[in-house]
Amino acid sequence: MNGRRGVLAAAGLVLVGSLLTAGRLEARVQEAPPASVKAETTAPAGIDSPAAARPVKEKMAVYVILGWAWLSIGVLLWILRLRIREADRVHRMDLVHAGESSPERPGH
Amino acid sequence: MNAVKALRAWFEDRFGLRPVFAYMAKKEVPRHKHTFLYYTGSSILLFLGIQIVTGVLLAFYYQPTLAGANASVGRIITELPLGWLVRSIHSWSASFMILGVFLHMLGIAFTKSYRGPREGTWLTGFLLLVASLAFGFTGYLLPWDELSLAATKVGTNIPRALPVVGAWVTRVLRAGDDVTGDTLSRFFIVHVCVLPLVLLAIVGIHLFLVQRHGMSIPLEAERDKVRPPALPFWPNFVLRESAVWLVLLGVLLTVAVFAAPGLGPQADLMAPAPEGIRPEWYFLFLFQTLKLFPSKILGVNGELVAVLVIMAGLAAVFFVPFIDNKPAERKGRVVTALAWAGLAYAIGMSVWSLL
Repeated sequence: MNGRRGVLAAAGLVLVGSLLTAGRLEARVQEAPPASVKAETTAPAGIDSPAAARPVKEKMAVYVILGWAWLSIGVLLWILRLRIREADRVHRMDLVHAGESSPERPGH
Repeated sequence: MNAVKALRAWFEDRFGLRPVFAYMAKKEVPRHKHTFLYYTGSSILLFLGIQIVTGVLLAFYYQPTLAGANASVGRIITELPLGWLVRSIHSWSASFMILGVFLHMLGIAFTKSYRGPREGTWLTGFLLLVASLAFGFTGYLLPWDELSLAATKVGTNIPRALPVVGAWVTRVLRAGDDVTGDTLSRFFIVHVCVLPLVLLAIVGIHLFLVQRHGMSIPLEAERDKVRPPALPFWPNFVLRESAVWLVLLGVLLTVAVFAAPGLGPQADLMAPAPEGIRPEWYFLFLFQTLKLFPSKILGVNGELVAVLVIMAGLAAVFFVPFIDNKPAERKGRVVTALAWAGLAYAIGMSVWSLL
């Protein structure tokens, strides 16, 4: 039980840490002068504006957020797997108990 | 702990939700080889929720005017922090939602879950598909770029082929004889006010019917009067559903980051249509079908014939629970074959349109 709590605490720390890192990077992007963005918004008329992160810092921040999201998903899936196993075990036990207490079963 | 109990009692006194929780605790989901199909329904709800949240965020900055539409979308994707990502998630979740609706309906068609007493569930599901496609159609014009203007002109011109009401329908869609700024305002209001209200109302009825009739079981089990093993909805099924949602969220975010939609140059009402006009992927098979029909068929307007054929096909899909309504009958196999043929046709035509 203690081991499981430890793993959960470590996973929580990783999540919070990566979230803070992503937040810091994103905040730095917001503070930085958006020179390259401005340069591209004044593109001549008639040319498509591709929508994506342009400055290197913003690209990095987005990739960190994406990595953090997949890491969180991985951890949450692992936790869900444990919960599903536990729920299925409880369900099977309920079925067994219900079967045992059924008057139709032999022995009752 | 007492405070939590007191709060629960307060809520129970006001809202009386105990029967709902009791129902959820008792609800069971059949467990068989097609159980995965049940996840498609909830995935649609997930994408709908994402659409609402990102749509509200976009609406804060979007301006539905001739001068402001394209510029405001440009501002959202280039100046606002992560605005491009919000727009990309909105756009991709729309595609994912429509894909989910198609898969959900195909799954139901192949497992014959539309048969009585679930006719109402199928009919409301079909209306949800139509509403989702209408969302896509009205949303496509909102960036007001060359391609969206041209595609909307083509799309709104299709009903004109119908006798008597055709011209009127086109005028209602366009808010005039041609696509103008009034069309943009009309599409915006329909996209953000009318369709969400209609969609939520139909979703409510659909979910009520799903709860009322329960989830369907495989045909073999129904025929042999065998009750398949079941899984408690809470927590066993909900936990599995949450895992599916998480993976879908990750996929959506990844696609939104790496394939964000761009923005074309501002639409010019006087300019000729650009080359390579193409609708969204879910309209491609209809677009290609319309292109294939000749201008005259036995002296009759070819476009009219095409529209009538498409409408007949849609009517057949809508009324399928009343056409194939008996269990284990030959008609059911014919419907399955037609569903496969329809799927192959839609994929084939869409691919052809892209070539």
